[in-house]
Amino acid sequence: MKTYRSAILITLIGIVLSGCGPERIFSAKVLDGVDPNFDFAAWRMVPNAKGGKKVQLGGRIVQAPQKDGLVTMVLTQLPIAEHPAYGPTDRERGRGEFLVYFNGKIPTNHLQPGNRVIAIGTTQNAVVVAIEDSQRSLPALTAQCLHIWNTGGKEIADFPNFGAGYQPLEEETYCTESR
Amino acid sequence: MEIRPSVASISGLVGTAVLSLCVTTSWADNTTRQGPMASPPHIMVAQAMGPAPNGTATPPPAPEIPLGGTSIEDLLMQKGTITKEEWIQIRAEQEYKGGERDKRVDTLDEWKSKAELLPILRDKVNFGLNALQWLYTHQDAHVPEGRSQDNFSIRRSEILFWGRISDTLPRWHTLMEFQSINLLNNTPTGGSAATGGVPTSSTFFREAYLDIRPVQSWAPNVNYFRMGIFRMPFGIFTETSGGLRDVISSPYLTSVGSGVGNRTGSAGTIDFLQERDYFLDMRGKLLNRLEYVAGIMNNNNYTANATGSNAPKSFYSRVRLFGSDVSFISFTTIQGESNNANTNINGRGKGAFDRYGLDFRYTSKILPGFMIQGEIWQGHDGANQTTIGRPANGACDVQTICGGSGAPGVQRRTWYVLAKYLITDGPLENFEPVVMYEQFDPNTRIGNDLYTRTIVGVSYYFENFPPKVQSKLQVNYEFRHHSGNGPNNVVDPTRGVGDPFAQNAFLVQWQIRFM
Repeated sequence: MKTYRSAILITLIGIVLSGCGPERIFSAKVLDGVDPNFDFAAWRMVPNAKGGKKVQLGGRIVQAPQKDGLVTMVLTQLPIAEHPAYGPTDRERGRGEFLVYFNGKIPTNHLQPGNRVIAIGTTQNAVVVAIEDSQRSLPALTAQCLHIWNTGGKEIADFPNFGAGYQPLEEETYCTESR
Repeated sequence: MEIRPSVASISGLVGTAVLSLCVTTSWADNTTRQGPMASPPHIMVAQAMGPAPNGTATPPPAPEIPLGGTSIEDLLMQKGTITKEEWIQIRAEQEYKGGERDKRVDTLDEWKSKAELLPILRDKVNFGLNALQWLYTHQDAHVPEGRSQDNFSIRRSEILFWGRISDTLPRWHTLMEFQSINLLNNTPTGGSAATGGVPTSSTFFREAYLDIRPVQSWAPNVNYFRMGIFRMPFGIFTETSGGLRDVISSPYLTSVGSGVGNRTGSAGTIDFLQERDYFLDMRGKLLNRLEYVAGIMNNNNYTANATGSNAPKSFYSRVRLFGSDVSFISFTTIQGESNNANTNINGRGKGAFDRYGLDFRYTSKILPGFMIQGEIWQGHDGANQTTIGRPANGACDVQTICGGSGAPGVQRRTWYVLAKYLITDGPLENFEPVVMYEQFDPNTRIGNDLYTRTIVGVSYYFENFPPKVQSKLQVNYEFRHHSGNGPNNVVDPTRGVGDPFAQNAFLVQWQIRFM
């Protein structure tokens, strides 16, 4: 009996301790080759000099039109926090916009402005896009995978008790078909 | 006189040129802020562009012009189109306008600095409309003289305020229900001969709590401590905001029945699970899959703050295991004691009190828009349950001494299943059919007391971005049935009026929610 109790206790402790580790939402295969020291600010200034790098970037959706299976997403870059909840956080000032191309279909409500996104993909040359009727040249990323939190502009850590009640936060990972 | 129109035109041109230079400078500033690799902004310097065409004196310093360029008035003076006096006049006007512009910019800067400090722009104070609901109901039941079977009402008018003070104090929250102006009743201590409770006070707020996150790095495993009054983490429905519910009526698990209790323990109004209470608890999430809550509560409903009743405390806990981000199964328990004297909850007796609940929600990813959820609850209420306002004191069945219903302790059970499907394209886009079936058994040991209800309905969403925005029209029809108030007891608790839980009902509700 004591053996069983010890086993259960060890299992529970193991679960709790493993829960303390950083959260992973992408597989090791997807993360393979990601540059951990990627300098977003430098890339944003000289996007064409840093093409072809595999990176992971967090952001908040500014606009994300979808046409013919291609999502063109303008994101404000945000730092990715581990605490209090894993994901892009707006507690720090964003460092500018960038563009993400994603080949695939994403439900419209997941593309609403304010949603938090982590994109993994390869950097491309700068592209001129229209944001609120003005033309902007933004560094671009062709995403292999996206993870979207449907926060609608709120912080991830505000859920599930955003508003007066309990509402689980929708989140989803999308990868291109080749993945 | 002939010159003036020319001067005016030139002034216009100059003004335009200056403005365009301002815009260029502004862009340049933006570029500079973007990083060290940006091209430097254009430097504005004063330059002499050659001698004045008709003057012997050295001309005053030329206006500020971009490198490699010249100003219009300099060019015009070089070509002899304008005189030196006119050139000076133009420059004076430019300087005046420049000064005015600088003043305006300074003022705007000052206001910007002030505005940036406003709490509402720093997430410290927010407000929103949790639910504004207009309700129409029709029920084929007898109604008292002067009343109608058709009713219009405002179901909810809830304004929500919340904010974030710091990382350690991540949320404060208060919700005002603007209909909470009625005086609330209490349950006096005493036997059946005692005077009934007298409504004396009211609670304007329905919710008010604050969160404390002591150590950031512990979150989300130990996410925060919450204290105050809020929707309790008892299953799904109880914790779902009134502005996000899929059917109009509240489920029987929160409240069922009418009138006062009898000796079977199955009659009268029963609030099996109170929606809100005063509590202190700890919440967190492990492995991004297992959510938990554990705490202690007053166990005397939201009205306790007004009536001053501080009931025997109860412990509660819930664990919720997520299969996906929005599908889960959970187990809840509440353990403690309840009292019938001074209670603000219907159907509570004196003695051991417990609740056990199992709930699930499946939100389909294969069939987007489809969701099914259910809950089953069982729990014990102590002996001699009472309803609010009816005197009670103790667990005995002698009503002259202990008041209340005189019923022994009872085991109650309830369950429901709800399914809905949101149509996301085609001519019926944004329509959502919903169906729900529920049962409530007030006393599992006896028969002839079962409540059942089937709700069929359809919702139409004008705006649907939960949890922030949800504007919808809901139409529900409820098939209600009530077996009775226990063996040999009449079904109709309020004779001549009818049992509303045995009569079908039709409801229409229009809702706005925005935050």
